[in-house]
Amino acid sequence: MRLKSLLALLGPFIALLVVYALFGVRNPAMFTEDVLLNILTQTVIVGTAAIGMTLIIISGGIDLSVGSMIALCGVVGATLVTKEISPPVVFLATVGFGGLCGLLNGGLSTKLKLMPFIVTLGTMQVFRGAGKVATNGTPVNLPFDVTAYKPWMGGAGIPWGVWLMVVLAILFTLILRYTRFGRHVFAVGSNEQTATLCGVNVTRTKLLVYVIGGALAGLAAVMNMAKSSQGDPTTAMGWELDIIAAVVIGGASLSGGVGTVLGTIIGALLMTTIRTGCVLNGIPTPWTEIITGTIIVVAVIIDRLRNRKA
Amino acid sequence: MKSSFFLALAAGALLSGCNKSGESSDQLRIAVIPKGTTHIYWKSVEAGAMKAADELGVKVTFIGPQREDDRSQQIDLVKNQSLQNDAVVLAPLDAVALRDAAKEVADKGKPVVIIDSSLADGSAFIASYVATDNVECGRIGARAIAASIGEKGKVAMLRYMQGSASTEQREQGFLEEIAKYPGIEVVSSEQFAGATASDAQNTATNLVTRLTEGGEMTVQGIFCSNQTSTYGMLQALRGKNLAGKVKFVGVDCDATFIDALKKGEMQGTVLQDPVNMGYLGVKTAVSKLKGETVEAVIDTGATLVTPDNLADPKIDALVKTQLQ
Repeated sequence: MRLKSLLALLGPFIALLVVYALFGVRNPAMFTEDVLLNILTQTVIVGTAAIGMTLIIISGGIDLSVGSMIALCGVVGATLVTKEISPPVVFLATVGFGGLCGLLNGGLSTKLKLMPFIVTLGTMQVFRGAGKVATNGTPVNLPFDVTAYKPWMGGAGIPWGVWLMVVLAILFTLILRYTRFGRHVFAVGSNEQTATLCGVNVTRTKLLVYVIGGALAGLAAVMNMAKSSQGDPTTAMGWELDIIAAVVIGGASLSGGVGTVLGTIIGALLMTTIRTGCVLNGIPTPWTEIITGTIIVVAVIIDRLRNRKA
Repeated sequence: MKSSFFLALAAGALLSGCNKSGESSDQLRIAVIPKGTTHIYWKSVEAGAMKAADELGVKVTFIGPQREDDRSQQIDLVKNQSLQNDAVVLAPLDAVALRDAAKEVADKGKPVVIIDSSLADGSAFIASYVATDNVECGRIGARAIAASIGEKGKVAMLRYMQGSASTEQREQGFLEEIAKYPGIEVVSSEQFAGATASDAQNTATNLVTRLTEGGEMTVQGIFCSNQTSTYGMLQALRGKNLAGKVKFVGVDCDATFIDALKKGEMQGTVLQDPVNMGYLGVKTAVSKLKGETVEAVIDTGATLVTPDNLADPKIDALVKTQLQ
């Protein structure tokens, strides 16, 4: 079991190394500490939200609203900061608000038995609109003298946000592997009927998964706010696709029951590496998009071929 | 059956809620369609448009697409708004994509005034083009960079987004003017910042990393062509503790830029006059509707703001129109 899951991680990990090395050969600056830090820091936001998405996708669900959720939570967080609320409370409140957004998604899809794809397609627009209504469409800037959030996504050394992502990745890997809730997430995603028959509380498991997904989106929103010093209601447009792509490159199956948190982080790192590498090598922006897209498809093809042999 | 009835009821309630305008029918109605609604810049355009509406006694509807690269939604907006308005004032997201929609409106006899960004091959059917001379805007930026680095050294330019005519003209103006200085070399101009500030910050951070060797920047000057790219670049430079160590000139304005100018982190920013643009856009549309002749191209002006002229009352007034 353990060997098999290690093998599943190997594909994306090799892809990451190959891509990193290829860019590095063209521009050795890729190997410097500075660039490594850039790649890690720029992965934090998508990576943090993608950990939550991994749980959702393993349980057989999907959350298209996560980008809008990050924007809305960012607006909430930034507004609290402008009201001179202390950082721990801002963190808790924003994460809590994200959890509530997740509860809405989870509640609608489980209690009313609606497809999560459709529910979150709707809430994606609702959250986006709510952020704009709350701010009248303009970003909420943090006051210039607020520096409490800077070390999370910048400053000297490794930003705290990177450690946060690492800790969360380890935490949720352990939760998925060793706790009853973790087992239930896989059981629900593999076969809902069987899980019900085995006495798993499917509704509660799914609700919790969406709440966790929302809370982590809230945390990603605080990181985004720390990074750009503002809560912008139009930020994170299309990030849901980056987040889902990270999970899929990491070896998860969109039909549920399969996936690892570590794989997801590798997937997120792979996408950041491509973007950073393209800029460092002076590759024009449109090519970055083509290369990213191609690598997503190739990663998935390799993964499927490997699974067929196994 | 029952549920579809409720759905229809809900949809009806929503629609009637949105449509409660009971204006007199002989009042002229003008739709102003910006590129987006988030930037302070567009709020200033709106303020100018509303000022014209009050002065001229016309009804102005200000409505834009949700994100600044959604061409398809803007095309739909042009088509829908042209049905219920007498003239359309449009800031096209794309010089080509919006051409057919604009021409369709003009062919129905409704004046189309283009503001901010040009429309490809539109001079035959549009009423007027009211905008900053964007090429000149880029040239002003180039001259400011050249002056701040003593007319020699290496510079980099971060572009905004593909297909946006106004910023492409600024970038072109910058490159043309900077080429006149034999001592200045442009080492990077191939990167596009992207539509949101957060994306721009990633691109800018990576670009700055490429242009840094041993903690020192290998370029002496950086130019960005609009608010999003300038904001992203400023955040990137601050994040790498390089703000103030490189000469940096941007375009557009927000409170952060003014702060950066005061701290010496920016040497200048080129300001357009969006209030005047919104004002003249609506005013030109009304003149055209009344059968008066209007100029084919109206320049709304571009001004370089520097740490030295911030206190100038005229500059201060212009800056204030663009801050919340």
